[in-house]
Amino acid sequence: MARERTPETPELREERRVSVTSPAGTEASTPLVQLLTPEGERVHHPLYDVDLTDDDYRSFYRDLVLVRRIDVEATALQRQGELGLWAPLAGQEAAQVGSGRALRPQDFAFPTYREHGVAWCKGVDPLTLLGLFRGASNGGWDPQEKRFNLYTIVIGSQTLHATGYAMGIVKDGAVGDSGGEAVIAYFGDGASSQGDVNEAFVWSAAYHVPIVFFCQNNQWGISTPTSTQSRIPLYKRAEGFGFPGVRVDGNDVLASYAVTRAALDNARTGQGPTLVEAFTYRMGAHTTSDDPTRYRLSSDLEAWKLKDPLERMKSFLFKQQLADAGFIEEVEADADALAARIRKGCLEMPDPDPLSMFDDVYAEQTVLLEEQREELGTYLAGFRA
Amino acid sequence: MSRLRDFKLPDLGEGLTEGEILQWMVAVGDEVTLNQPIVEVETAKAAVEVPSPFAGVVTAIHHEAGEVVDVGSVIISFDTEPGAGPLDLVPDPPNAEEGALIGEVGANGRTATLVGYGPKSGPAKRRARVDSPTPVVAEEAPPPETAARVSAAAVGQAAAQSQGAVTVLAKPPVRKLAKELGVDLTTLTGTGTGGVITRADVEAAGSLGSQAIPVAWEPGARERRIPVKGVRKMSAQAMVDSAFTAPHVTEFVTVDVTPTMELVTRLRALPDFADVKVTPLLLVAKALLLAVKRNPEINSTFTDSEIVVKSYVNLGIAAATPRGLLVPNIKDADRLSLVELGRALQDLVETARAGKTAPADMQSGTITITNIGVFGIDTGTPILNPGESAILAFGAVRPTPWVHEGEIAIRQVTQLALSFDHRNVDGALGSQFLADIARVLADPATALAWS
Amino acid sequence: MMLTLAKALNEGLRAAMERDPKVVLLGEDIGKLGGVFRVTDGLQKDFGEARVFDTPLAESGIVGTAIGLAIRGYRPVCEIQFDGFVYPAYDQIVSQLAKMHARSKGSVAMPVVVRIPYGGGIGAVEHHSESPEAYFVHTAGLKVVSPSNPADAYFMIQQAIASNDPVVFFEPKRRYWEKAEVDTDATAEPLWSSRIARPGTDLTLLAYGPMVKTCLDAAAAAEEEGRSLEVVDLRTVSPIDFATIRDSVRRTRRAVVVHEAPRTVGVGAEIAARLSEELYYEMEAPVLRVTGFDIPYPPSRVEEEYLPDLDRVLHAVDRSLAY
Repeated sequence: MARERTPETPELREERRVSVTSPAGTEASTPLVQLLTPEGERVHHPLYDVDLTDDDYRSFYRDLVLVRRIDVEATALQRQGELGLWAPLAGQEAAQVGSGRALRPQDFAFPTYREHGVAWCKGVDPLTLLGLFRGASNGGWDPQEKRFNLYTIVIGSQTLHATGYAMGIVKDGAVGDSGGEAVIAYFGDGASSQGDVNEAFVWSAAYHVPIVFFCQNNQWGISTPTSTQSRIPLYKRAEGFGFPGVRVDGNDVLASYAVTRAALDNARTGQGPTLVEAFTYRMGAHTTSDDPTRYRLSSDLEAWKLKDPLERMKSFLFKQQLADAGFIEEVEADADALAARIRKGCLEMPDPDPLSMFDDVYAEQTVLLEEQREELGTYLAGFRA
Repeated sequence: MSRLRDFKLPDLGEGLTEGEILQWMVAVGDEVTLNQPIVEVETAKAAVEVPSPFAGVVTAIHHEAGEVVDVGSVIISFDTEPGAGPLDLVPDPPNAEEGALIGEVGANGRTATLVGYGPKSGPAKRRARVDSPTPVVAEEAPPPETAARVSAAAVGQAAAQSQGAVTVLAKPPVRKLAKELGVDLTTLTGTGTGGVITRADVEAAGSLGSQAIPVAWEPGARERRIPVKGVRKMSAQAMVDSAFTAPHVTEFVTVDVTPTMELVTRLRALPDFADVKVTPLLLVAKALLLAVKRNPEINSTFTDSEIVVKSYVNLGIAAATPRGLLVPNIKDADRLSLVELGRALQDLVETARAGKTAPADMQSGTITITNIGVFGIDTGTPILNPGESAILAFGAVRPTPWVHEGEIAIRQVTQLALSFDHRNVDGALGSQFLADIARVLADPATALAWS
Repeated sequence: MMLTLAKALNEGLRAAMERDPKVVLLGEDIGKLGGVFRVTDGLQKDFGEARVFDTPLAESGIVGTAIGLAIRGYRPVCEIQFDGFVYPAYDQIVSQLAKMHARSKGSVAMPVVVRIPYGGGIGAVEHHSESPEAYFVHTAGLKVVSPSNPADAYFMIQQAIASNDPVVFFEPKRRYWEKAEVDTDATAEPLWSSRIARPGTDLTLLAYGPMVKTCLDAAAAAEEEGRSLEVVDLRTVSPIDFATIRDSVRRTRRAVVVHEAPRTVGVGAEIAARLSEELYYEMEAPVLRVTGFDIPYPPSRVEEEYLPDLDRVLHAVDRSLAY
């Protein structure tokens, strides 16, 4: 017997249209948490705020500049053939520095492969990242030491690892007060479509783990806009899985910091997962050999240039008289020095010894692998020098 | 490092081999900082600003705006130490390997992709090596760990039951040959590296008659069993195939071969035949070859679909050897002179006696002679060699009372028996052929008449 | 004591969990239900929900979170409910679990066990009778083992859990209810070694998991025909213990590999290739393989024709001995 259909009133139709057809990328339809306008004006938000010293503000700016400079230098190095590829974070500096600075020492971060700004905050030498993209290693740092997982190239996989790690925190009883541990899992708008990411949401909710899912919605998965990935703003996904979601202005380092800190504190005190959607823009290409002009309008790019994360911070510092031209120059000089160091390090980076590729496949080496290692060693030694 | 540095157009991504210079952002003489954008290049996909890899002064721009340039070509040069005095204007000669043409590998050898450097063309020539690989033949001792895992009792029992405690080393093709020749590999010592038994080892063992009929009787035994294998088995099978496939007819002729026997003596004295063994068999062979020429259809094979008549004669000579009955043949015997035929026949017999007849020698025969006369036998009903249509049995030559020129005389007389495949050789052909052989042997001058 | 293979696994898991508090079990329906084959029966009751817990229905999640738990310092033992359900987790296993140690140059170890009931012969519907071991043997960074009998099951599960490498642990489900004597105080054989289950002289049968019993039965039948067959229980499928295999085949000079998995590019192909390379001068016959066919696992009414059995094994033995 046919069920009676809900009568379609004009109001119902409008409600549905708004909820279903709101373009995921339209800011006007979706509120963002913002503490610093693109012009550098401080605004207040009823739920989030920061309590930073003048040094902190200057230090945020410095981090933004250095992170951008690393990115620019690495891009140039790729153009010059010194790196196989580079995944630029241009435009996303505030989302990464803001969230990265919100982490406490005991917190563990699970990045994708573009979080060079978070790596910077966690003390991973940018030269190490260059080594990965140069092909000298598949990682290069000790995740346990840095509490920063190795880059995961497979899209979304790390969200499950982060979830499992957070489950371990619960088992260890290291959750519940301000000293508790939290986990942050980074992923992009494209990754939100992956099964693993959705499974991570399910599990995190089921086991009520101390995790912050930090989605950098930079509007593009290579050439695919976010609207193909989701019919609703991404932060709203969380509700479907049973935990809170919030959208923050990803080009606002202060808001990114505040929202992430709040979410991490919720997690570490046992209040479960949060989804933070940092609304930002990938100003560069997907990787350095991608050609974005094929799929997006330069007018979009121009519009986002006006929301530059560094410019607004610089404006804020000047307006609040927290910094002068001397400080800006000093930061530039630091950036130049950093760039020169990593450039030199990259050019001088040795290739790994071929036989080392057999070394760390297993914790306990196998006879078979030792035989193969010897086979290759003998073979290579058999060439006339 | 030279202070004068060239910058080559790098790969800008995704399989591009050339780019068009859209505009230069610097000019000759400009001072340029590291990473400063110096040129805008259009690839197939987009306009790309290329940053400078050097700091210094631009000394030369090698391609104008609007030009299409190959990846790997030098586009701009810099003096990287502009403060260091006058510049030697002769630049370093370009590295011959770094030049790039359309479609060829660029300066860094690669064509970039979204996710990495891109493909590299592999080496086109071998790098020189100091060693050459030798096959690992056998490890002597089993690794000690394995012994621990097998209970001692189990191993002892297994060893005791093992048919050959010694492991025989031989490649599969050699094992197959040994089986065919009936050679027991465990009795051989291999002459190959590491004690491997080689093909030659097996063939030598086969020819030495190691599989000759075991002579020793068990004392008091009433029977002795000789395994049927190797050559014996093959010969037996061949014989059965032949006998029960082709309908055999045998015709006989008794011939006064006195002139042939005298010719044998005379030929032996000739200098041409000084190092050739002249025998009656040789002349019988020649007579047969002449007869084949006159009766070519006898040199053929019957198959169900067709009769194959051959224009060449591979003349088989049945030989009793230590390995059993073999029929090696002389290839293209019809083309040989009598001297050559004699030598070939001699080689054949000596090789067969030594047991060294090669398998190839026994293949592709077209007609056969079996010399049963050496056993003192008059005649017989020979069985065709499979694949052939005729076989001649040459009996003993005896002094016999004969009617010669109307009177009884003692003449050298022999019997010739020809068996033939009655499917393709009818009575006329067979008889004619046999008669021709007889005529040559009865009167060797016939050979001259027919030539 | 007499234990079924399933019970032996249960006891082994129990022993491992008692020994190391970091060992946790996760999987679908392993807690209250005790697992669909009862392998984890009673363990949640005894060790608590923190250490033995039911997961959402998400195989990729099972392995992915196990990886995270391992980074945190735990020793997770995942259960994939049936062989045919491992594929959603395949990416996590192959792209992450297998590679983490190499990627981190040893900084991050993956002491994770993925338990998978596998193989056919239980009259089941699709996806419950697979033998996917080759996909994992072919993946560098993993180790793959399969016990064939209760005693091995008891010890090997503990050894796999104690290993600091990721181990895919294939349990022959058709043998789960077969009983044998298990001396839990015996000294365990090393995990990464094969065992001569039955000595012989004429030919070596090489098998693992469910096919070991089939080969032992075949060898017993062959004895009545006057043939002495040696049976090697591989136990470890990756890394393969070539030393033991080589030693056996060098003595018998003939080998037949038996596995349920399809023939093409199965584990048998690797063993055949390697034996031909190392024992070229010693083999009396080529290595023969008795395997499933290159078809999707058939409906259960014809699975007996698909699976290798005693007759198929002895038929291959006949062929080998005829060379």
